Formats: sequence, structure tokens, C-alpha cells
Amino acid sequence: MRIHVNQREQIPSRNMSNAELNMQDKKDLDKFTKFLGLKAAQIIVQSRLGQKVNTKCKPNSSGTDWFNLAIQDLPEVLTEAKKALCGETVNFRIPLCVEISLRTIEGDTMVLETWSLGVLPEQSDPEVRITYTVYNRMGILLKSLLSVTRVTPAYKLSRRQGPDSYVICYRIYMGEPQLHTLGDNYKHVRVGQVYTPVGTIQISLSYRTKMTISPTHTGRDLVMLKSDHFHSDLSPRHVRYHQSEENNTSLSDTAKVGAFAVNKKVTVNEEDLVIPDVPFSALLTPRQTSPPPIPSTEEPVIPPPSGTTAPQTDNNNGNSEKTLNGNSTPKCNSQNGSRRSSCSMMSANDDFIMVDLKTPFAGTNANSDLGTFYRECQSAPQLQAFTEERTLAEQVGDLTEQLETFETHMHHYEDVLSSLCHTENNN
Amino acid sequence: MNARTQLFELSMEGRQVDEAVAGIFHSVLFHRTLGKFKYKQEGSYSVGTVGYQDVDCDFIDFTYVCCSSVHLDEILKREISGFSEALRSNDGPGSGQISLEFFQKKKNRWPFQPECIPWEVWTVRLELIKLVTEHERQICREKVGDLLTDKILYITEVMNRHDYVPKMPNQAELDLIFDTSYPDIQPYLFKLSFTTSGPSSTTMGNTMKKLIKETLSM
Repeated sequence: MRIHVNQREQIPSRNMSNAELNMQDKKDLDKFTKFLGLKAAQIIVQSRLGQKVNTKCKPNSSGTDWFNLAIQDLPEVLTEAKKALCGETVNFRIPLCVEISLRTIEGDTMVLETWSLGVLPEQSDPEVRITYTVYNRMGILLKSLLSVTRVTPAYKLSRRQGPDSYVICYRIYMGEPQLHTLGDNYKHVRVGQVYTPVGTIQISLSYRTKMTISPTHTGRDLVMLKSDHFHSDLSPRHVRYHQSEENNTSLSDTAKVGAFAVNKKVTVNEEDLVIPDVPFSALLTPRQTSPPPIPSTEEPVIPPPSGTTAPQTDNNNGNSEKTLNGNSTPKCNSQNGSRRSSCSMMSANDDFIMVDLKTPFAGTNANSDLGTFYRECQSAPQLQAFTEERTLAEQVGDLTEQLETFETHMHHYEDVLSSLCHTENNN
Repeated sequence: MNARTQLFELSMEGRQVDEAVAGIFHSVLFHRTLGKFKYKQEGSYSVGTVGYQDVDCDFIDFTYVCCSSVHLDEILKREISGFSEALRSNDGPGSGQISLEFFQKKKNRWPFQPECIPWEVWTVRLELIKLVTEHERQICREKVGDLLTDKILYITEVMNRHDYVPKMPNQAELDLIFDTSYPDIQPYLFKLSFTTSGPSSTTMGNTMKKLIKETLSM
């Protein structure tokens, strides 16, 4: 944002109370506070995407960036934050909260931390200048927020998220922060505050210290989640183990369908279990598959190509809210329907949004390629040999016929062999 | 004038020194850096935008945020690696301290140089430890990361107290307060200094003590 300061101007000695806060200052303060909330939400969510952030300095900034900080705007987060604010006049008497949680592939969720931005009306500083001091201090508060988001336990977890272990989700809501979801012995940290004529704006954080998931299903051991590169929970072996355990209903169920076989569900009769007359004839019966672990709704969202997600910098200064709303129809939203969040004063614990994540080494459409390949294999036509059921007698008759023809053609084979021997000698 | 002083005391392995000091000082400087001022016409200016980036440490479980200014990083790295080398050299004492000092200049009468008045000093005092096993190193990695986390929280706490910082100057006096040599950012004037033998003498108080001591010994 551009600030024009007349340097020769004396700092006006203002002696105003809340009531005397003039209209222009009030308007400015409301606008600054609103953008502080929106930018804080961006900083928090972007720090949990699992990627490193790098924004460029703009010495010749034409006055477009709020708080003189190059905070990019993810359109989706902007939409969520605005939804949470519900377009009301923002005074943050009710705090704005951003909740970060972890969801394992088994579907267990755990709230990791809750950030809240609120105003304490009892502590105010009537002397402070809005356009200059408050604005700059809000910038410092956001810098502190940037620094603190990188040092909490959830940051390390978010950098290690992946589609085969766990994903990090966020939820933005207005309301008192729900701290009971953080388990015992959660910690509280004050990120910083800004004194204004109407109260103290404060950003604080409460975070979980006990990283133990209490299983929501039955009969499973506690899953310890620790910040550790080599943790067994993160290994694919763990995934396989669970899968086979849950599907272990019958022998034929566990077997996977081969690439060129038909995926048909078959009810197993008692007769089928009797040892057949023809050895290995069981191989010819189609089997039930155990489906590959590709759940569609809970799977983390693979971000669209970087061109489309490239965060759009907020190129307006707050007075043109229309453009901001224009920005808020994110392209990535249309690509997956699973992203949503609640904008309610109440809270729904299970209402999370999947956070973008990138699979290491994967191209942007790698998953769909794999899916296409898999489907092609699934839908491959059945081999003709298996379509015609023939009796044992027919099959045996075939065999004798074949043997006879082979015997009659014996001399052909010997010719071929001898010619091969000759050519070898020539070499 | 009394400068605010902050002292961090840490012990770590030699190879962790560069990253630990850079993490602390970059975090401080990030808060003490403004966008570049551009003067339009008399008395009016616009402020540039400060970019930022995440930096992962190799030898510590730690990530910090710093200004995305190559120039600033170079200057910091150069000074810190000088300190690190002195600290880690074989004949080094294995302990020492490095200070980041913010100061403002006060013009003096000709022919004297402008006077530098410090207003905030951040000192990191380090003691080197030697580790033998990989297991110990792994524990130290995490431990130093946790310690730095505490320091970052402390830094943000100090920054949000909104204590004294020099007043915004007018255009003519801008470089008495800010370092205007950076093309992309505008940090408050700062300097780095280190010593590997005993306490640093960067603050005014220490300088005075030293003067008195020297006078007495003569």
C-alpha cells in the first residue's frame, strides 16, 4: 500500500476517545483490520501446504501490496476467509479462527492447532495514529505470524504430509477458539498484538503437544505420530498391512486380479472348494478383486498445474472489493468438488477442507494416467479360451488330437532343428 | 542513550553455528526491515514491498523466514561464517559471541565522523560441544531446533512490544536511520561484530567499562 506522508507535517496531537475517533480513521481502521484478518488466514494456510514459500521483494511496488509485505493470495483461501467473515463489519469482537488438523488415510483426524485473531476492547490506545502507526504495526504482527508459523510442531508435520500417510486440513470460522479438541497439555502462545483506539488486536495460537490419535474405530492400536523421517506409520508397508487385515474375509478375496483377467464378483459355492478333476482349473474361474485403495472423496487433492494455482496477488487496495470477489472463483475449486468449508458461527468438527499437496516427483496428471492405465487393464476383453466352457472329455479329446498332429508333423520340427544347427555352424 | 540488549546463550556443534546464528539474525532483521522508500515529490514517498522466503536448515530441525534479499543474505552470511570459522578453528577457544547491533547516526561538526548510537543489540553467545555418535547428533539436531523455536517466539514478543525505534526521518536524513544501500529493501542501519575471546565490546556500556579499566591499569 502506498503511504503518502507529508514529512513537514507535525504529528497532530490527538486526544480522542472511542467516541471521538473520526469517521475517516474509523473507516481506515475497519479496513486495515479486515485485511489483517484476510492476510493472516493466507499466511497460516499457506504455511501448512507442505511447500516452501518464496515471494519477491518489490522495491518499485506501485502500491498494491497490503502492509508492504508480499503475501500472495490463494483464491480459495480468500473465499473461505471471506465466507467466514460473512461480509459483516469486521471488528473481531468474535475472534476469527483458523484451525489446522491432520487426517490419516484411515480417516482418523486430529486437530493440531487453532490460530485466533481477536480484539480485546478493554485495552485501547486512543493516542495512536491509524494510518501510520497502526498500519505499520499490523505489518510487524504479520511478520511475526510468518516467523511463528514455521516453528510450531504442525509445520514439520505439514512438510511431511503425503497422500499415502496423512494430509493437513484447514477450517476458517468465526467464534471462540475450540481448545478442547487439542487434547491435554496444549500450549498457548501469543504471536503479537497491536494497540488501536478501539482495543487491542491480538493474534494467538494454541497447539497440541500430545501427538497421539485416539482411534475412532474399534480394535486398533494407538497410532503414534512423531516428527520422524523414518516412522513406520509413513511407510507403505503399514498401509498394506491394514488393507489385508480388513479385507481378510476369504482366501479368494485377498487375491488380486491379474492384468488381463476379468474383474467379476463370484459367489463361491461349496462345490468350487472341492478339488477339481482338472488340475489348476480353479485358475480359470474369475475372482473377486480387492479394490485398489483409491477412495475418491477423502483422497488429498492434487493441485492443478502450477499455472492455474499460481497464487494471485491481491492487486487492489481494499477499496475495490469487486475485483477481490472476482478473484475468489478459484480454478482449482472447479477441478475438485471435495473442497469446502463451513462459514458458520457454530462449528462442525468434521467439516474440513483438504489442503493442496504435491506428490513428490509426480507430474501434474500422473494420477489420472495411472488411473487410465488401471481402467484399461480392468476392461481388457476376456481371452476367448476362457469364454467357451468345454467338457473334460472334449478337452482330453483335443489333447489326443493335438498329440497326433504333432507326431505327424514330427519331421518338420526335425528339419527346423537341423537347419538351425547348420546356421549356427556357419557362424 | 541506553540500547536495548538481548542475549541468547546456546551450546551446539560447530557445524550448526552458521545456521543457528543466521536463523536468529534473519528473523530479527525480517522484523526490522521496511520496503524501499521511493520519493516522488518533495515530502511524499511510497514504500516498496518486502518479499520473504522459507529457509530449511541442514544440521538443525528448523525452518525460518527471512527477507528474500540476496544482498542482505550475502552480507549476513559473510560475517557469520567469519565468526563460525574463528570459533571452530583449532586454536579457537570454542566459545564466543556475535552481535547484531542496530544504530542511528548523529551528524557531528566537521571534521568529525557522524556518531553511531546503538538502540538495539542482539547478542548470541555460543559454546561449542563435541559429539561422538550419530545418535547424539540426532538428539542435538532436535534440541537446537527446539531452542531456536523458543528464541523465535521471544523475538516476536519483543518486536510486538513496539518499544523505541528511531523516528521516521525526512528524506535528507534517511540514511542516518536506514541502510539505503540495498536495492530491494530498507533495513534499519545495522552492523555485525563478533569476538571469540570473552564478552563483546559492542555496547556503549562495555566500551565505557573498557575505557575505565584501561585508564586504571595505566
